[in-house]
Amino acid sequence: MSGNSSWMNSLVNRMATSKFFNYLAGHVLVPYWAWRTPVYAQHGGPRATIPPGDNMQRMMNLILPLKDKTAVGRAKAALAIASNLDEIYAGLDNVGTVHFARFVIIENNMCMISSYDGDFSNYIRDFVAQLGTVFDSVVALIEGGDDMIPTKENIDAFINWVHDRDVYQIPDTATDLLRYGTIGHSAAKADGPDDLRLMPRALILQLHKNPNSLLGSGYRGYPGLSVAQIRHKMGLGW
Amino acid sequence: MSTFASRNAFDPADVQGNILRGYHYGRVRHLILEVHHAAAARRWLGQCVSGHPDAPQITTEEHWTTRPASCFNIGLTYFGLKGLGASKASLASFPTEFKAGMAGRSVKLGDIGESAPNYWAEPFDDPSKVQLIASIHADDLVELDRVEQQVVNAGSGAAFILHTARDGWNFDTDHVHFGYKDSISQPRFIGVHDPDNHADGQPQAPIGSMLIGYPTEYQGIRYNIPQPDVLGRNGAFNAFRILAQDVAAFEAYLDTAADELLDHPLSEELLALGAEASFGPDVSRREAMREIVAAKMCGRWRNGVPLALSPTTPNPEHEVSLTNFNYEDNDATGCPYGAHLRRANPREAAIVQRAARHTRRLVRRGVPYGKAFDPAKPDNEERGLLGNFICASLGGQFEALMCDWINLGLEDPQITGSNDPILGANFRETSWFHIPLKSGKNINLQGFPRFISTRGGAYTFLPGIPAIRYLASL
Ligand code: HEM
Repeated sequence: MSGNSSWMNSLVNRMATSKFFNYLAGHVLVPYWAWRTPVYAQHGGPRATIPPGDNMQRMMNLILPLKDKTAVGRAKAALAIASNLDEIYAGLDNVGTVHFARFVIIENNMCMISSYDGDFSNYIRDFVAQLGTVFDSVVALIEGGDDMIPTKENIDAFINWVHDRDVYQIPDTATDLLRYGTIGHSAAKADGPDDLRLMPRALILQLHKNPNSLLGSGYRGYPGLSVAQIRHKMGLGW
Repeated sequence: MSTFASRNAFDPADVQGNILRGYHYGRVRHLILEVHHAAAARRWLGQCVSGHPDAPQITTEEHWTTRPASCFNIGLTYFGLKGLGASKASLASFPTEFKAGMAGRSVKLGDIGESAPNYWAEPFDDPSKVQLIASIHADDLVELDRVEQQVVNAGSGAAFILHTARDGWNFDTDHVHFGYKDSISQPRFIGVHDPDNHADGQPQAPIGSMLIGYPTEYQGIRYNIPQPDVLGRNGAFNAFRILAQDVAAFEAYLDTAADELLDHPLSEELLALGAEASFGPDVSRREAMREIVAAKMCGRWRNGVPLALSPTTPNPEHEVSLTNFNYEDNDATGCPYGAHLRRANPREAAIVQRAARHTRRLVRRGVPYGKAFDPAKPDNEERGLLGNFICASLGGQFEALMCDWINLGLEDPQITGSNDPILGANFRETSWFHIPLKSGKNINLQGFPRFISTRGGAYTFLPGIPAIRYLASL
């Protein structure tokens, strides 16, 4: 290897992690790629899968932008949840497949974060059957929510609407690629992830379309068990 | 409108006849068609609902006094509606799962491995070619051929490309491959005349569980009506499935399981000493045990008698109803939680998804295809069921059933993580099936393969009669 080319290599290598290159990549290169290779935004939430364990405790991270982005708007949202809390909890209990669910206001979004068993559409449909009337008062506060009300009579559209607002889940395999410093390079973790050249382009383009994401399918303290199995084993009655 | 129709709030003349009742003909032929010349196809559709002498007439839900020589119905896929010229806005108004098509939902349906759509028989491996499924029901082949010819002649032969014809026939009084009597349970509908009028322990289903545009039993939920209203209303959705049944593997498994169970320390809880006598003259313990395994897997004895009413013998001393039963007190010592029948319809039993109770019901119109299997002369010919699973929402009913209950078993914690022993996407390495016993113990069967694989299929929309007129007018 000549001295000259190793000088070039080290320049390119340094460039790749330089602030300037990162700026260029994020603001010019990625939009250019996105323009060259149009990518559809993948749906949020977990993908359909066969192994039973992967169908338990699936994660939902809904981000619902509030219409009113002031403290008053946030207060209204807090009130809409708080004043219906008992019904919401009773309804979730009757859905039967929900491990936990919580409502969080982050910035100007109402976020509903939950862990459920089985199919996403079935979960949302049962949720609406139980709670649609109550939940409509929450949906009314969300951008684009008016078209969905009453949710019980717009069930197919509402399921899609929710699906579109569930955070994109970076597949476990892609998460592993990031973890191990990406394809073709068994490089140590330390130099992997922040080197843009080594990240799969498809993933970057997807994150361009889907700014929010969940990394992999998440941690589970008791993998592979449904709510009802846990309740049954604990003698709580399901 | 007659008083009958007004009580039902739908006009039987507006609804295709294969949704709310079974025709009970001996044979069916499904013609798998692609629209070749849209204008000719539309014209022909118009002829099918206006008494044109050369076109087969769509059978409606109206009562007949004399049974016709044949009945004729159609279903359209998403590509079919597109091929006929439905507008973009109209196409977009159909439910997501219908637009994706059956092949697009394969993982949800357990259509993986050899059942994956890319292995399906032609033309199902290319869903864009499957556009219109025309179904002819008749007792004899001459009549099937006659009507098929009428379809082929549509638009002077230019309207459609006929890709394949799939024939099914009933053999041996409603028995299907695997030897079970089938076509016993069907939902009964509020206000709809039910000539069979069998008692069954379940609430009658509102018409909206099958027809689009009516209230459902699902706590105020209404499925969206595809637009324009005239197109969507009074239609229904159908999952057409070509399901191959591996009879040799099934019978071989009954042998294996029977041998295993006869040696099992709890075997007498399943089959008391001498109880085999009630199974029939000269029936051995092994033969009786085989029947017990078959019954536990299904929820009915192969002669149709429900386990819930006759837990220990296929020949109860006093005759029992074939339809009027329930899973009383959540008991599973007769019909196991994981049996096909109970997974597919838990009736009044406790289920995890309480909100979904009675909401995932299906009308089933299945007819076997392929020659009956002869154990004396085993062969490798394909045989199975041409199944139609009809509902108002494929997502809310058919798919919901397939992905959470048939496979996965979410409805009861005691079966969660296992698949339907007959229909499920099973692997020998991981399959299991619990048989709960009176003593509170379980017998666990394991190591059975997948017995039923998918060879093709399509999601179709069964348009109402005004909808067919509307499509003809596009
Ligand atoms: C080759 C495939 C299949 C075979 C051999 C089969 C066999 C049977 C048999 C023997 C029965 C009992 C007869 C009766 O109650 O009418 C039955 C009932 C039933 N099956 Fe299947 N089946 C098959 C596919 C399916 C599929 C794909 C579904 C739906 C997802 C399904 C859903 C049902 C339902 C809902 C019942 C009635 C349960 C009730 O109301 O109690 N089956 N099946």
